[in-house]
Amino acid sequence: MDLRSIIIAGVGGQGLVLATRIISEAAFKAGLDVKTNDVVGLSQRGGTVWGTVKMAETVHSPNILPGEADIVLGMEPLEALRWSHGLKEGGLVILNTNRVYPTPVLLEKAEYPEEEIEKLKERFRVIEIDAQAEAKASGNIRAANTIILGVLSNFLEIEDAVWLEVLKENVPAKAVEENLVAFRRGREYVRE
Amino acid sequence: MTTVKKVLTGNEAVARGFYEAGGLLASSYPGSPTVELLESVKKYEGVYAEFSVNEKVALEVAIGSSFYGARSMVSMKHVGVNVAMDPLMTFTQTPMNGGFLLVTGDDPGMASSQNEQDNRILGKFANMPILFPGSSQEAKDYAKLAFDLSEEYETPIMLDITSRVCHARGIVTEEPRQEHEPKGFTPDNAKYTMLPPITHARQYAMKERIEALAKYAYDAPVNLLKEVEGSRVLLVASGLVYHNLLELNVPYSIYRPGMVYPLSGDRMKELSEQYDRIIVIEELLPFMENELKLMGISCEGKEWFSFTGELNTENIEEGLFNAGLITDRRLALLEKNDAVSRPPMFCSGCPHRPVFDILKKMKVLVMGDIGCYSMSVLPAFEASHTMISMGATVGITKGMNKVMRMKGNDKPLVSVIGDGTFFHSGMTGFANLLHQMEDSDNMTFIILQNGTTAMTGGQGNGSSGKYDVNDDMHIDIKKMLNTMGIENVQYVDQFDYNLFRDTLKEEVKKKGISVIIATRPCALKFKIKEPNYYVDPKICIGCRSCVKTNCPPIRMKQYPGIDKLKSSIDPNMCVGCSVCAQVCPVGAIKKSLKGEQKEWI
Repeated sequence: MDLRSIIIAGVGGQGLVLATRIISEAAFKAGLDVKTNDVVGLSQRGGTVWGTVKMAETVHSPNILPGEADIVLGMEPLEALRWSHGLKEGGLVILNTNRVYPTPVLLEKAEYPEEEIEKLKERFRVIEIDAQAEAKASGNIRAANTIILGVLSNFLEIEDAVWLEVLKENVPAKAVEENLVAFRRGREYVRE
Repeated sequence: MTTVKKVLTGNEAVARGFYEAGGLLASSYPGSPTVELLESVKKYEGVYAEFSVNEKVALEVAIGSSFYGARSMVSMKHVGVNVAMDPLMTFTQTPMNGGFLLVTGDDPGMASSQNEQDNRILGKFANMPILFPGSSQEAKDYAKLAFDLSEEYETPIMLDITSRVCHARGIVTEEPRQEHEPKGFTPDNAKYTMLPPITHARQYAMKERIEALAKYAYDAPVNLLKEVEGSRVLLVASGLVYHNLLELNVPYSIYRPGMVYPLSGDRMKELSEQYDRIIVIEELLPFMENELKLMGISCEGKEWFSFTGELNTENIEEGLFNAGLITDRRLALLEKNDAVSRPPMFCSGCPHRPVFDILKKMKVLVMGDIGCYSMSVLPAFEASHTMISMGATVGITKGMNKVMRMKGNDKPLVSVIGDGTFFHSGMTGFANLLHQMEDSDNMTFIILQNGTTAMTGGQGNGSSGKYDVNDDMHIDIKKMLNTMGIENVQYVDQFDYNLFRDTLKEEVKKKGISVIIATRPCALKFKIKEPNYYVDPKICIGCRSCVKTNCPPIRMKQYPGIDKLKSSIDPNMCVGCSVCAQVCPVGAIKKSLKGEQKEWI
């Protein structure tokens, strides 16, 4: 497999660390070398956070070279926009449409950049998904990140069995079945 | 030997190295980027691990364990080492009984720190060798190696790990633990009582051990030379910078010291004879560069690479281009994206919110401190006006109070400090308040007792037991301060907004020392599960009192059939703390019934 570079962008408290861990363990179990930046920024306090995953035969640095990311996993639209400039021309944005408004918007000092987010479609392939709604429909609103991982799995050469094994190891025992359902729902979402 | 491979963060990998080396005791004080290191150690059996009350105490706990002959590790963020410097500078003179490792988490770029100090300076200052890993595998290997080196050379070891490496995952080969039986403690003044003239001899011992380590460095396996045929240039890089450099695949030889101090003078001189140019690529200070220059070796470094921030691959490419070593630049420097910023904020239901909303409205001078409540300096509050280091607010408040009163300024001063920070180093400041008290003094201290070291992810602290029966620390701060001689101390529930405001206004008017302990626990660790609040837009007058409390679910919204923007609350994010309803002047914010999630649509 050629180098795959993924930027994960979101808001502190959205569970980026676990998502990063699941992707990296799936890559490892698929026999690849893998490195990540788990989270840069203050986790949990509602600020901008981002991370990276790189997988290939050999990976030196976990950092993605500017403009060379294949995929932006946007857990929130503004954060997807913020990190879209790290993406290759024609790269893929997986965009969770559930908006989390930042302080400048809450205080009416700035507008939420709806137009710029819309314009991402002109430069990149954008897959929009309301992950919270999909998670709710699959039986567990807290499995939104698993829905997104399901979407992502369509673009990585990692077998389903590997993903399911890693999910089982990383989610709470009582939520395993719900997460497997959510993962499949995310995976099917693109094929529809 | 059975080995197994796993994907680990740098923090997890250091913990694993400690475990495999037979480590018996690990202590720490939580601080980014090394918080998860001790949390990972706690998962292993047969090991004692604790978050101590501060870094100095953590270091001392590990010293005691090492004195008994046990392999011991203490970990902290870079600024934590400042707190621990006093015992460190003297302990380093002792010959190690049990291997000793000090892990410092440096933060180039200051992702989550108040300064950018380069602790390699402190390692050298304390006569300690410094290992500098750049990946998870290196982090584990170096941590393990540290204990052997520590015992062989009778020295504490510094493992300096940068924030990116702490939080980066990579594949690590795990090996089984090898038990290391402590030798026990045999009193020996020449080893353990650092008084002159014993310390005279120890100066020579420290010099000799660094010289011996420089010999070890000559061909130590951690110091790697990657030769490129025909290269007239040698690049020197360590840590993550080395891996970032590999991404460029440049046609030059690379020397990667895994141990950045001491370097081998003999080796470096030999290398300098083989190459026309030596260029050191390192983050922050010109540390290795200066070491080479002290050896009389001419080299370049900081003229090409920034003294601040991280050196990512694109920054390294830029420096090498400017140094004339590459002709084509492939990578553009990532420009700042101008998308709307997203600063961190208090969580839904955070008990700090009403306190800073009140302080903002009172327009008093507030001396701040380190913790989640540091965010009170940001909009929408901008309600604390100094920010230096852990526990500093108490002394700063006293000093400012003294000179204000001397100069006839009788404005009140307010100080805020969390309970974790109080136990860390605020307590000593409180004792100091009692010295030379005067009638003109007017200081009001708010202790935010949330029972949690919250900013670092919810570790316990000295008063956690109040909220969590599983926590063995339950210090009554009021009793403690009363016993010390500070009499005017009271507990107040800040979720009773008017009571807290009126109490604070009353205390601020009083001369002397007032202490208000705000009693609500951290909303992230001790979740509020009340029915959500909602806005009735027909009553809302759009005054934005609620919006200004800067709660994640609250924002102005266009309602159908209503011209003006009215406030709204996202029911999925509201935890029901009631603060917004209490600041609303017209009663437009109402509570849903239990079991119902109401939202005005």
